[in-house]
Amino acid sequence: MSSRRPPRGEYIETDTGNKVARKATLVGTQNIMLGGKTVIQPEVMIRGDLIRTIQASSQSASGAAPNNTAVSIGRYCFLSRGCCLRPPGRLYNGAFTFMPLRMGDHVFVGPGSVVQAASVGSHVHIGAKVSIGELAIIKEYVRILDGTVVPPNMVIPSFSIVAGQPARLIGEVPEGGHEAFELRDLYKTAGNNPQPMPI
Amino acid sequence: MSSKRHSTAPSAPKPPVHLSSHLTIADSAQLTGTHLIEIRGESVVHPRARLESSAGRIAVGRRCVVHERATVGAAPSAGGVSGRVAAAGADGGGGVVAVTLAECVTVEVGAVIEAGETVIGEGTVVGVGARVGARAVVGKHCTLTPYTEIAAGEVVPDFTVVYSNGLRRTDKRGVAELKNKGLARQIDVLKRMIPSNPAKFA
Repeated sequence: MSSRRPPRGEYIETDTGNKVARKATLVGTQNIMLGGKTVIQPEVMIRGDLIRTIQASSQSASGAAPNNTAVSIGRYCFLSRGCCLRPPGRLYNGAFTFMPLRMGDHVFVGPGSVVQAASVGSHVHIGAKVSIGELAIIKEYVRILDGTVVPPNMVIPSFSIVAGQPARLIGEVPEGGHEAFELRDLYKTAGNNPQPMPI
Repeated sequence: MSSKRHSTAPSAPKPPVHLSSHLTIADSAQLTGTHLIEIRGESVVHPRARLESSAGRIAVGRRCVVHERATVGAAPSAGGVSGRVAAAGADGGGGVVAVTLAECVTVEVGAVIEAGETVIGEGTVVGVGARVGARAVVGKHCTLTPYTEIAAGEVVPDFTVVYSNGLRRTDKRGVAELKNKGLARQIDVLKRMIPSNPAKFA
């Protein structure tokens, strides 16, 4: 009976292709949106319980159902071991509220990094041990090198390379360099039956 | 066979705690050690935060916020001074306060505060992944930016901003009051958001 059951893998693979490690800590899962084909490695922590308490005035006026998504992640994102995603908090009209953390497609988050950005665009590479301060906005095709401390509220323009403590613009993604941000191959290397990285 | 695996090791004994009735402590916070852990009112302990009292008492003041994965009272990293501190902690028994957090202290994600008469002053923010060494005394309203390291035994004066590259400056903005007000608002929200379970630790 028990032998017929497939062996318990390290990852839970969902219908939409998300691979979520059993040892990842997802708090408030009902408020976390995964776009599909996202890899969440062990020891990752996502704080979905820190939801927005004050809705934008346009939304509350229209009477629509409140959107409680705390963290939304696009397709082909890769969250490395030990990283932490948490929605940023701020004072809004004199009251404290958390804001949703939005992440685009093909975002790589390195091991041990803490992301508290308001939004991270598509095709962003975040290195290891990076701290992204509250309400920072990261546009598309950005590379953040290891150990960078992105201060709160910083806006990083597209195609930039940033590093340092605090983060400074140190260069631009070269022409044709945007293909290195593609994470489809990396997606295949994780999961219960990982495949080797094609060279 | 049950599908849930249980740890075969016996669970560590609970440390004696003194928790205020007005505090918010998440179910998955970890309190370990042998000495008293005291947390005063209106403080918030996030899920997966660790408070360790193996080297001495842990005293957390009013309106403190300890974020996820932060460790308060960690065993000191290898070093000349730290060995002595650990010994002193063992001798002193319950009398030694290993870590003191004054009022309105924020310990952010993954920060580590080592044990050994370490004091963090009122209104100080210990940034993401920062490390405060044993016996260090951090003054009031300081800001330790992400990944800063405060050496063992160091004394940081009030209103200092410490950067992770070692640079320091004095905060002359005079916004300490405002910061504390903002923190109070944050605690009000967190209180409603984090399901508290102090009974688990008592």
